[in-house]
Amino acid sequence: MRMKYVLSEVLVGLWRNVTMTIAMIITMAVSLFMLGGAGLLYQKVGDMKDLYYENVQVSIFLATDVSEQQRTDLDAKLKSDPLVKEVIYVNKDEAYKRFQEMYQDAPDLVNAVKADQLPESFRLTLVNPEQYKSIYDQYKDTEGVDEIVDQSRLLDKVFGVLTGIQTFALVIAVFMAAAALLLVANTIQVAAYSKRREVAVMKLVGASNWFIQAPFVLEAVVAGLIGSVLALVFMALGKYFGGSGSLSALEGLITPVSWGDIFLMFPIMAGVGALFSAVTGWITLRFYLRV
Amino acid sequence: MTKTYPKASRPSLDNVSVSIEKGEFVFFIGPSGSGKSTIIKMLLHEVSPNKGRVVVNGKDVTTMRSWKRPHFRRSIGCVFQDFRLLPNRTAYENVAFALEVIGKTKAVARRVVPEVLELVGLGGKEHRYPHELSGGEQQRVAVARAFVNRPLILLADEPTGNLDPDTSIEIMRLLDRINRTGTTVVMVTHDSNIVNQMRRRVVEIESGRIVRDQARGVYG
Repeated sequence: MRMKYVLSEVLVGLWRNVTMTIAMIITMAVSLFMLGGAGLLYQKVGDMKDLYYENVQVSIFLATDVSEQQRTDLDAKLKSDPLVKEVIYVNKDEAYKRFQEMYQDAPDLVNAVKADQLPESFRLTLVNPEQYKSIYDQYKDTEGVDEIVDQSRLLDKVFGVLTGIQTFALVIAVFMAAAALLLVANTIQVAAYSKRREVAVMKLVGASNWFIQAPFVLEAVVAGLIGSVLALVFMALGKYFGGSGSLSALEGLITPVSWGDIFLMFPIMAGVGALFSAVTGWITLRFYLRV
Repeated sequence: MTKTYPKASRPSLDNVSVSIEKGEFVFFIGPSGSGKSTIIKMLLHEVSPNKGRVVVNGKDVTTMRSWKRPHFRRSIGCVFQDFRLLPNRTAYENVAFALEVIGKTKAVARRVVPEVLELVGLGGKEHRYPHELSGGEQQRVAVARAFVNRPLILLADEPTGNLDPDTSIEIMRLLDRINRTGTTVVMVTHDSNIVNQMRRRVVEIESGRIVRDQARGVYG
């Protein structure tokens, strides 16, 4: 009976102040959505780093007037370098083939470029991609070398942008969370005020503190949980529409977000939503109800 | 014990010492602001003395932790001048509410509540709302609510303050009957008529000091 009483009090409480309840749930949902989004992005960036850095290459382009001797010397030097895991030599024909593949959507460009205009190169896979700098210093003045390009430089820029988006989402999440928690505090104050007579009688006859507080705290928790379900719906909609819309341009760059990833975020969002609401509610009651 | 409220120029209660035996019926009388109500608040563990001890039912209330207060309150019933009933609940529901919020089942309430409403003389009016009852009847509901859990002590803070003399006498008869079941009754009042009729122990307080403690007293 006590459980039934508490639950019915929770529903009545949420319904009594329904506009405030909706505002509370929406802000909470947006906040949790941003939090979940930031979490997903964090996870994805981690995956991508693993994936890309493993395959990242340093290209050493050779000068057009490179001699046979210079090329073999460099080849031998690279093969004996402890920093280098693998060396692949790409001659002019292969470079042209790669170029054709890469720009197959732009036939004009492909036609304008002849095979012997493209430089030969060595493609290196490093034992540790972060040691690019020492490779660069070591070979940049070697004769016959034109230019050294590190793909990880490019990736760092991409990851920089992604981390920026993630930080932005987190900042929004924090601000929305502050708004949501203030709404929780306000809702609970209103609820406590509208039930002040009952609370006074309960205190007088010796109802336990948890029994007096539970309906209010649970009200906040239920709102938090509904908010997290809503945030999950936002995410699902984001995947459903974003997958076929503007975000599909990023496909191939960002590893795809699976339904599993999204549902894995739910327990985190629900937990954060419920816990923060409960703590806020409880603290509000400490000040407002003085039980 | 001594109680000084913050910002007060003189103590509300100054070195007051009083002992009430189990089953007694005691009036605390005195003018407004003499400190009578502070005694009730101390017995309820609502305020603590600055100096001295308050012992209720063998427990030292002064050192009681606040989380133990709810359980402690279950052994004390309370009646006030303004009844403090829930307006949106019937007489039955008001009394049952007090039971249910301390964890008693609905079945217990169904058995006990009609009994106690009968005892206070409200048989047949269980399903009236407070606004459908007279002041005296509302106070009877409040007494029923205070007594339904069979407390050891019943505290009454000016219970007849809002009632006419005849109704007041009826409420006093009711409190007397409850006292005869072995419940200690502590009543704060300045209704001289009632004190004179009852001829019970009277403790008179003035400016925070006890000026009289008389076994079968009258209102000075």
